[in-house]
Amino acid sequence: MPEPDQHTLARRKDIIAAMRDIIPSPGGVIVDDDQLRPYECDGLMAYRQLPMIVVLPENTAQVAAILKYCHTNKIRVVPRGAGTGLSGGALPMADAITISMMKFNRVLDIDWDNRAAVVQPGVTNLGITRAVEHKGFYYAPDPSSQIACSIGGNIAENSGGVHCLKYGLTTNNVLGVEMVTIEGEILRVGGKGLDQAGYDLLGIITGSEGLLGIVTEVTVRILRKPETARALLLGFNSSEEGGNCVAAIIAAGIIPGGLEMMDAPAIKATEEFVQAGYPLDVEALLLVELDGPQVEVDYLIDRVGKIARDCGAVYSRISENEEERLLFWSGRKNAFPAIGRISPDYMCMDGTIPRGRLSEVLTGMQDLSKKHGLGVANVFHAGDGNLHPLIMFDANKAGDLEKAEAFGADILKLCVAVGGVLSGEHGIGVEKRDLMGEMFTADDMKHQERIKMAFDEDQLLNPGKVFPTLHGCGELKTLHAKAVADKFPDIPRF
Amino acid sequence: MVDVLSPTTPDQLRDAVGWALGSETPLEIIGSGSKRAFGHSVRTNAVLDCSKLSGILFYQPEELVISARAGTPLADIKAALAEKNQQFHFEPGNFPALLDGSTGPDAGTIGGLVACNLAGPRRIKVGAARDHLLGFEAVSGRAEDFKSGGRVMKNVTGFDLSKLMAGSFGTLGVMHTVTLKVMPNDETSATVIVACSDPRAAGKAMTIAMGSENEVSAAAWIAPEDAPHLDVPLAGEYGSGLVALRIEGPKPSVAWRADALCRALAGFGECHEVPESHSHRIWKVVANVAPFVASENSGSILWRVSVPPASGGDICAQLIEKTGGRAMMDWAGGLIWLQIAASDAAVAPDAMAGTIRDIVANVGGQANLVRASDEIRQATPVFHPEDPALARINARIKENLDPKGILNPGRIAPVSQNGEGA
Repeated sequence: MPEPDQHTLARRKDIIAAMRDIIPSPGGVIVDDDQLRPYECDGLMAYRQLPMIVVLPENTAQVAAILKYCHTNKIRVVPRGAGTGLSGGALPMADAITISMMKFNRVLDIDWDNRAAVVQPGVTNLGITRAVEHKGFYYAPDPSSQIACSIGGNIAENSGGVHCLKYGLTTNNVLGVEMVTIEGEILRVGGKGLDQAGYDLLGIITGSEGLLGIVTEVTVRILRKPETARALLLGFNSSEEGGNCVAAIIAAGIIPGGLEMMDAPAIKATEEFVQAGYPLDVEALLLVELDGPQVEVDYLIDRVGKIARDCGAVYSRISENEEERLLFWSGRKNAFPAIGRISPDYMCMDGTIPRGRLSEVLTGMQDLSKKHGLGVANVFHAGDGNLHPLIMFDANKAGDLEKAEAFGADILKLCVAVGGVLSGEHGIGVEKRDLMGEMFTADDMKHQERIKMAFDEDQLLNPGKVFPTLHGCGELKTLHAKAVADKFPDIPRF
Repeated sequence: MVDVLSPTTPDQLRDAVGWALGSETPLEIIGSGSKRAFGHSVRTNAVLDCSKLSGILFYQPEELVISARAGTPLADIKAALAEKNQQFHFEPGNFPALLDGSTGPDAGTIGGLVACNLAGPRRIKVGAARDHLLGFEAVSGRAEDFKSGGRVMKNVTGFDLSKLMAGSFGTLGVMHTVTLKVMPNDETSATVIVACSDPRAAGKAMTIAMGSENEVSAAAWIAPEDAPHLDVPLAGEYGSGLVALRIEGPKPSVAWRADALCRALAGFGECHEVPESHSHRIWKVVANVAPFVASENSGSILWRVSVPPASGGDICAQLIEKTGGRAMMDWAGGLIWLQIAASDAAVAPDAMAGTIRDIVANVGGQANLVRASDEIRQATPVFHPEDPALARINARIKENLDPKGILNPGRIAPVSQNGEGA
C-alpha cells in the first residue's frame, strides 16, 4: 500500500472539523479508535488497517462537498459499501477518509412500466427484490452475500451469482447511475433508456472498484419472477464427466437459471453441515436449476435428465416441491460456512477458466495442494467457469497464512495459464493486485491507468487497489512517438 | 491522393498507427467501409483499411465463444455460427443497408459491428454488442498494443475497457481482435401480432406484454403503410398497423406463452399467433429496419431515437405529428426509427434536429442522425449532444488514449478550429 502521507496525518484535526461542517448530524463523522475498529477491513479479514476518519454522508450534496474538499486538499478517499467485499477493495488507509455509503438506504422509485427501480447505493441486493416482489418482480444478479451486500458495492465489483449465466452480471442489469467525481462534480450516466451519448461510461464505472467516483444513485432493471423453478441434483464419478455434462446441456441449447458444481471435499463438508441429502459417494455433484413457465420447466427437466444419463450420471434426483428445491440449494449456499466448520480459516479464491479446461485445472489444484501442504475444496459456477477454490488453513499456525496466499496465487496463475482470468466476481482489490502482471502487459496496465486519470488525475480515490504500481501522471502522459517513416515496406498501401 | 494503408497483421497495424502518430496524420479507420456514412465524415487523406486483418481465430461452440480478427466479414462469422446452430444473441441487423443501400444479407465486419455497438430487436432482453464483447486486442492512438477482458463469461479483472471500446467508433483504439459470447439458437419461436394503427395504443400494448410473465424477446410496432413489408398474410388482411411480439424457447413453452399473451392483449385488437417461418421473417424486417432501407428511400433522412420504452408510444406519436415523418418502434418502444423527407424545406438545414431533440429531451432520450447528406451531417451534430460534465470526462479519455487525435478525428463530433471535438 502507498506510504501514509505525514502532511495529511498532521492535518487530521482540521480535516475532522471540515468533515463535521459538511455532516453536522451526530455520528456522521467517526474519529475514535474503538468506533473506527469495525471499519478496519472488509470481507477479506487477513488485511486490516484503521482508517484515519470514517464519514457517513446522508445525501449527494454532502458526498460532493466531501470529495471537493478532498480534491482541493489532496486527501485520499476509500469508498465503502456494506463491507462484504472479498478482495480488500474497501481496505482503509491510515491517511485516508473512508466514506461509508450505508446511510443511502432508500428505494427512491419503482417504475413498473419501464421495469426499472431507482435506489440509493446502500440498499442491499436482496432489498431491491424485497421492494418489488409483491408485484412478482425481482432483481436478477444474486451474489451469495445478497442479504447483506449493497447494490453500490455490487456495481463497484460487477458482482455475479448463480443466476448470471442466464441473466447476466451487474453490468448487464444496471441502467444508470448518479455518481460524484473526486472533483465534486455530480454526473448522471445512463438512465431508463437503452442508449447513452458519448462513450459507455456506465460500462467502465461498473466493476471499477471505487477508483473512478462514488455512486450515489442507481437505476437497475427488474425482471418478472419466473412462474416456477425446479432443481436437479446430478452425481458423477469424475469432475470430467460432470464438466462434459455441463457442456452437453449448453450444446443442447439449454441455458439453466443456475448451474453449479461441487467437488468431493465440498460435498462432504456441506452435507455434514446442512444435511441437504447430497450423495457422498460421487466425485462431482451438479446442481441444475431450470426456471420459467411450469410447462417449460417440466419439459427441460426431462431433457436435462436424459443428457445427464448419457453423460454417465450415477445419481439423479429432481426437486418435487419448493421446499426440496431450497434444500438442494441450502448445501451450495452454505458451502463457505461449511468449510469454515471443518477448518479454522479458509481463503476463498475467485478465478474464471474456459469450462473445457475444468478437469485439467482441478487436477492441477490437487498437485498444488500437495505442494503447499494445505487442503482445498471446490464449489463453482459451472455454467460460466467461475471457480471458488476454498483453501483451508490455520491462521494461528506460523506460516500457514503465507502458505495459503502462495497457494492461492498459484491457483490464479494456473487459471490465467489456461486462458482464464484472475477474478470472476470478487474483483482485484489488494488481494490480487500484484498478480495483474500475469494477465496484462505494462502497456495494457498503462491504458487502464489512463482511464483512471481521466476521472481522477491525482489518484486520490481508493489508491493501492487494482494497480500493482501507480505510474506518475507525467509518465502516463509521455508520448513515445514512433519514428516518422513514410515507408513501412511490409504494409500494403494503395 | 488518399493514402490507404492496409495492414495484414497486428504488428503491421501498430506500425501503421505509429507512422500516423509520428507524422501527425489523421487516419480514417474502416473495415469494409460499409458504415462510413454513419457519424460525421472524417476529413483526412489517409485511410487505415483493416479488412485484411481477417479470419476466425477460434470458435468453441460448447464454450459459447468466438474470437476473430476485426476485419472478418460478418457474413463469414454468421455462417460459422449458423453451422453450429448458434447466433449472436443481440441479433444485429444489416445496418449498412440503412446507410447506403449495401446489398447482401450481412454487409460489414465484426469489428465495425462492435465499434458501432449495434443491436437488434432482442436488445430489450439480452443487451447490445457491448454486453457480449468478452475481450479485445487493439492499438491505441499512442501506437501501443493494449488489450482488456478475455474469453470467459465472468471477469472483473481490471477496468472493463471492452464496454468503452464498444460504441467508440474507432476513436480510442483500432481493434484487431475481438472475442464475443455466442448463444444457441432457440428451439423455436413464435410471434403474436395485434392489429394496432395508433402508436400510443401500441406503446401501451408493448408495455403490458413486457411486464407479463411471458418473457417477450422482441416487441415492435409497424405503421399501417409499412405493414406490407412484413409479407405476412395476416398482416396484409388487417389493413392496419401491427404490434408484433416474439416469444422464443422450447416448443411447449412457446405455445403456452403465445396463448397467454393473446389473452392478455385481447382488449387492444385482433390478435393472432403467426407460425415460426413468418416469425423469422418479421424480425428480420424489424432488425434490418427494412421499411427504411436506403435503396428504397432515396434521399430521405433517418433518425434513430432512443427513449425509456414505456414513453415510446407517446414520443413516437409526437414525432410523427411534428415532423410529418414515418416511424417504426422497436425495443418495446425504446427505439424509434423516424424517416423524414429531405425535400421538405422545413427540414433544412438541420434535419429538424432541434424539433426532434426537444421532444425527446422531456423523457431523457437521445436522437442520433443515422442517414443524411454529407452537407447536413456537417451542419448539425449527428450524435446526441453530450451532457457537458460527461463530455469533459469523455474528452479526457479520448485525449489520454489518442493524444494527437489521429484516430477517426471528428467522427463523433465535427472537428472544430481547435482540433478534435468531444
